[in-house]
Amino acid sequence: MYGNSQFDGNAAFSGGGFMPSQATQNADPAFSPAKSREAQALLPLTVKQISEAFQASDDKANFLIDGVDVNNVKLLGMLYEKTERVTDVSFVLDDGTGRIDCHRWVNEAVDTKEMELLLNGMYVKVHGHLKGFQGKKQLMVYSVRPVTDYDEVANHFADCIYVHCYNTRLRSQDAHQVPGHMQNSTFNTPSKGYQSTPSNNVSVQYNTDEVKGIERKILDFLQQPSCIAKEKGVHRDEFVQYLNVPENKILEAIESLESEGLIYSTIDEFHFKSTANG
Amino acid sequence: MDTSNPAVFVNSELLRLHVGRRVRAVIQVLKSDGGGSVIGKSTDDQQLVIKGYPSAPLSTFVEVIGIAEGNQSIRAEIFTNFGDVFDMSCYNAVCQLANRDYKHLFL
Repeated sequence: MYGNSQFDGNAAFSGGGFMPSQATQNADPAFSPAKSREAQALLPLTVKQISEAFQASDDKANFLIDGVDVNNVKLLGMLYEKTERVTDVSFVLDDGTGRIDCHRWVNEAVDTKEMELLLNGMYVKVHGHLKGFQGKKQLMVYSVRPVTDYDEVANHFADCIYVHCYNTRLRSQDAHQVPGHMQNSTFNTPSKGYQSTPSNNVSVQYNTDEVKGIERKILDFLQQPSCIAKEKGVHRDEFVQYLNVPENKILEAIESLESEGLIYSTIDEFHFKSTANG
Repeated sequence: MDTSNPAVFVNSELLRLHVGRRVRAVIQVLKSDGGGSVIGKSTDDQQLVIKGYPSAPLSTFVEVIGIAEGNQSIRAEIFTNFGDVFDMSCYNAVCQLANRDYKHLFL
């Protein structure tokens, strides 16, 4: 079923159907016209965000960034290594956070004209579809336009920051968590570091099991050297205070951790230590 | 796909944190004598010295991408004319966000 949709739907956009090697790749169901509008939203991104995008599942060829399906993306950067071939033009886009390979299929004179105007080293706005091909991420570009008003540069990156904030906050609301939680983990990622995986992985985790998220935090907290040093363990109230989470959720998390043998109670039923430190 | 050589958004305050690394900054050109150095005002109103030879005449606002050499100087690799009208405060705000709370989106 999905094999057919690559050839009939949105053929002008995909272009990938024309290349024999790509035809053998699993078809991209994102092109199915039946997908809801939300899945096709345009995301402004930096190349760094794309490089950290999480592949949802092997057969889907869809990426996730901040928990949102990535289909159409918008980038702004400098164009380099422009190579014109008969049916396509390829180039590298460098936006200051990284470089990504881009391909633009030129089927009509309009497309060729658009690409002819572009020179290496020019600032351009690019809009296209993110594709994974042989383990590398590439952009199938729908349009490339030179930047004329350079306030767009600051605007694009501010846009990336805004959308990132919006999506990560959306994830935290979806998971019915205390809002302060997700903000803490997103904003403090560089310093606190208990989210050692990229933020998009974390949002997937929160979506599926919110108690697991709290358990993870309790464990990480207990594994800090200051807590390991405490012979009597850490009082339950400290978890509530430190993690800013309601007591009933902490209780649930503690019960679950105890039954799995990851923490144990020490001097009384309120103090705990992690089993994994020796 | 290669994120090994990013250029950090900086103003003069953030420049000192990235000495020796590749940075990008927008300056308002104050003096460009063609003798290998350009004096400009950064987006946070401090003076910066840009070492390098621009390949074309410079407009009022220029973005330089290069290696940060000191607290106030950049050895430029690329000069890009940003025209004569530009919002410095907006770019400055992006520099600050990109270096603090949202560093993970850029570096």
